[in-house]
Amino acid sequence: MGHREIPAEIERVLLDEATIRVRVRELAAQIGADYAEINDLVLVGVLKGAFVFLSDLARNLTVPHDVDFIALSSYNKGVVSTGAVRLIMDTRSSVTGRNVLIVEDILDTGYTLDYLFRAFQARKPASLRTCVFVSKPDRHQVKVPIDYLGFEVPDEWLVGYGLDYADRFRTLPYIGVLEREVYETEG
Amino acid sequence: MGLRDDVARVLIPEDELQARVAGLGQAINETYTDEDCPLLVCVLKGAFVFLADLTRHLKVRHEVDFMEISSYGAGTESTGVVRILLDLEQSIEGRHVLIVEDIVDSGRTLAYMRRNLQTRGPASLRVCALLSKPSCREVDVTLDWVGFEVPNEFVVGYGLDYAEEYRNLSFIGVLKEEVYAKSD
Repeated sequence: MGHREIPAEIERVLLDEATIRVRVRELAAQIGADYAEINDLVLVGVLKGAFVFLSDLARNLTVPHDVDFIALSSYNKGVVSTGAVRLIMDTRSSVTGRNVLIVEDILDTGYTLDYLFRAFQARKPASLRTCVFVSKPDRHQVKVPIDYLGFEVPDEWLVGYGLDYADRFRTLPYIGVLEREVYETEG
Repeated sequence: MGLRDDVARVLIPEDELQARVAGLGQAINETYTDEDCPLLVCVLKGAFVFLADLTRHLKVRHEVDFMEISSYGAGTESTGVVRILLDLEQSIEGRHVLIVEDIVDSGRTLAYMRRNLQTRGPASLRVCALLSKPSCREVDVTLDWVGFEVPNEFVVGYGLDYAEEYRNLSFIGVLKEEVYAKSD
């Protein structure tokens, strides 16, 4: 599907479509093997960013599972994350006693996933794991367990495959590095 | 448990589905300009798979937003009025809005969603539905783009579920009657 020209705002492609496709398949195979004997798996996608990864991951999963979504909003809309998040939409079904896999597009400071992990832990699921597509180890402020990780990536502004810059570039089929001047001048 | 074993037949195979989604993306590219920056509104849960693939084909600048709705239950079905569990993050006043739907059945919910969004004063409001079941239609609702017209059968896959299952099939299949008949 490489028919979309790379926008001028993208400095370079970090993870191309083929690389992503292969890795998503590997993650799905790993998850499928781990949950082969386990029933009642529910994938919880974190909106908005995770919907692309989740749609591909789920299609590659051979184990039965439900899909659910949650939506969060940061109290601080600025670039620097403060760690405080507000749950604006909860899952449709209860996760108590079920095997929960939180699906996130990116782990940056870790505040969001840390909050979610603790929030879900309090609901007493049968098990709780996390699946993150990209992680920026240099940015982590809190330690959050990642059970399934797509890629470790450098501390650059990444867009595409669910990741956005002010809602732009979210649906690029690859992950690209945003030109510095885009967020330094506009932001 | 083999989910595929519960499928009586494949209605739309994966390659046909993907080709059509690409075609819909192309049509959307030709309709809007970058200045329009349409906001694609996805109604959860079902439409997220379609949205993920559709937007991969969009060259025109756009944004995505989500709504989650639930039925109020018996008695409100005929009006299509639903409870909004998650509203749009953004205001759509003056925006070009494109509702992305997985399937249009009776059309009642969609007709209500259209009315609801119309009151917010968008610059334009269109609908792109992957599937439509014209034989089930109970109210008139305009669909600007339709991927496939399908017969009145229990279809699953590509976001469409039965009791939360089969959503992740990469094709559209017809569910075996014994699967949904036994739990009714």
